[in-house]
Amino acid sequence: MYLLHTLYFNIVRCPENFSIFATLKTGIAMSEKQSETTSPIDNPATWVDAYGDFLYRYALSRVKNTSIAEDLVQETFLAALKSRRNFQGRSTARTWLIAILKHKIVDYIRKKVREQTSDKVELRLDAAAGDSVDTGFNSRGGWKSPPAKWGGNPTELYEQKEFMEILYHCLGELPERQARAFMLREIDGLTTDEICKALGISATNSWVMLYRARMQLRQCLEANWLESEK
Amino acid sequence: MTHWMFNCKEVSRKVSLSLDTSLPLHQRVMIRMHLLMCRYCNRLRKQLLILREAVRLEKIPEDTGGQPEGLSGAMRERIKKAVREALP
Repeated sequence: MYLLHTLYFNIVRCPENFSIFATLKTGIAMSEKQSETTSPIDNPATWVDAYGDFLYRYALSRVKNTSIAEDLVQETFLAALKSRRNFQGRSTARTWLIAILKHKIVDYIRKKVREQTSDKVELRLDAAAGDSVDTGFNSRGGWKSPPAKWGGNPTELYEQKEFMEILYHCLGELPERQARAFMLREIDGLTTDEICKALGISATNSWVMLYRARMQLRQCLEANWLESEK
Repeated sequence: MTHWMFNCKEVSRKVSLSLDTSLPLHQRVMIRMHLLMCRYCNRLRKQLLILREAVRLEKIPEDTGGQPEGLSGAMRERIKKAVREALP
């Protein structure tokens, strides 16, 4: 009902504001929000009981260490508390909390990877990571090493523990700003304008960063996951 | 490839760009034509979509592999205490 009313309002009353995507997104978020009456976002005291176990299992499935998973869950709740005012109801509380947790997991993996690497090697790795996207093509713009075939359909891939584990590891290995841009876009669903404001970069710059991030993630997954499949 | 068609490098950029903004019609047509002929770029497009889907995934594996299924009692209390103390 709410959705129909919003569609009517946007199309008939305010056609200049009409965006089917925004309308559907808001409508879905509202209906999901309405169904979440048992654990409202404005009552942080209930968060741990309502979402703690799910977040913990999610973290554990990515980091494989119980005490680190517990710490990440605690950090997630504390970060959520700080940014509670920014929660605009664009998603459910659970989705919002998981998005924060995903950032925490990638930050943790990055820290771990960087601890094992000296600063000089790190700078070289970041530069090489950028170059590897360009060097993946020959001078005529053709593939030098074409993408390999990934076995199975997407659902089967996501079911494989190794796939998700390696994906997060690869996210942690990306240069920091690239990873940040990628996560803001794909996990938080920010628009180009919002990413530009968050990172203080131009639209063109954000698209280049996202392109490099996607290409490097793909390469990293292919190198580590397909290798582990053999 | 002739100059009026995108090469694979250009298509890879455009495919990524199309995930962030809408492209002009003529570019969409040129990408589509290239994808019809190039299985590698087609593969790349599918893989970039898989990456998008995978990072957005909220599902957790059903098989916990013997790991605990939830926070321990002590940890739950510790987190609750930390949240209470951080409340304004």
